[in-house]
Amino acid sequence: MKNSTINLRDLLILVADPNSYLRRVINGMLRGFGANKVMEVDSATGLFQALTSQKVDILLCDMRLPPHGGLKLTRTIRRNADNENRTMPILLMSSDTSESTVKNARDAGANIVVAKPMSPSGLYDRLGWIVFNPRPFVDCATYFGPDRRFKIEGYPGGVGRRKGDKAIEVAAEEGPSLNQNDIDSLFSNARAGQD
Amino acid sequence: MAKQGDTEANIFYADTRFERMARRPGGVSREEAIERAQTAVQELKTDFIAWIDEQLGELSTTLDDLAHNPTDKAALERAHQKSAYLRDVGSTMGYTLVTFVASTLCDILDAYIAGAPFDKNVTDCHMDAFLLARTDEYRHMHPQEVPELAKGLLRVVEVSSIVPPGDGKE
Repeated sequence: MKNSTINLRDLLILVADPNSYLRRVINGMLRGFGANKVMEVDSATGLFQALTSQKVDILLCDMRLPPHGGLKLTRTIRRNADNENRTMPILLMSSDTSESTVKNARDAGANIVVAKPMSPSGLYDRLGWIVFNPRPFVDCATYFGPDRRFKIEGYPGGVGRRKGDKAIEVAAEEGPSLNQNDIDSLFSNARAGQD
Repeated sequence: MAKQGDTEANIFYADTRFERMARRPGGVSREEAIERAQTAVQELKTDFIAWIDEQLGELSTTLDDLAHNPTDKAALERAHQKSAYLRDVGSTMGYTLVTFVASTLCDILDAYIAGAPFDKNVTDCHMDAFLLARTDEYRHMHPQEVPELAKGLLRVVEVSSIVPPGDGKE
């Protein structure tokens, strides 16, 4: 991704974070990347108002967005079949990067987690990853969102439940905070048992 | 637990407008985009110290409220929020040490939320550390460059984060 160019012009980017200064910082970074349509909201209420009034192209959302947090919000967006923003990329921003939090974000349907505090290069590369490494969407009874299957850990719950799944070993769990590379590896889209 | 192969899943590529449009030619190169973003962040720095001082003032007031009423959950949440704000922006704006101090304070406030007893000496020592960390002389420093301060704060976190048995609120 490092040499690829992304074009954010005319894309509507929604930044949802309760911290007004951080919103300004992210807005500044995005405009530096070439974005010209950046909206800011400070709560889930503002976010849903924005989502119902227009088509948002990508959401950057704080994991602790009040009142219920980014995880619940991501699930709500993904599970609402009538929502035209249902498949938009969702990038969750979090200072809590424990493995369990990152996995919860992935299981809620987030495309990627970015560790706070973030740098311009970190944000640019995560956006580029969404653009140039698109993951298929999975729509089933218990989940709607980007494919969660990953080479390093195997199937959710340890068992391949889809027809055609092959047996695979599952990696051990747990650990302290992850760095951005570890987070990225949890979101890489090599499909276990099939690649 | 579900048996292997018993669930039907519809798998498709959404090919979102974001992905399509962002791949268009004419974008800014990575190098230039990052340089421009850094310039934008740099421009915000002019009022960052004023923002830090405003946040520290509000944090100090909230911690004073907590000292008078350690069971005030709303004040505890407010203090945590202010501290998290400082942690999340600090290093992005070049105030690495502010992020470190805020991070340790967040850990302590997490412990208070979980039921550890509030101690004003602990929060006071963090407020003092903030005053040092915000100065031009110290703000760029990493914790390993100020080992006494860093070890001291980490030790404070360790000691003051103990939740008495049976007192956990979660």
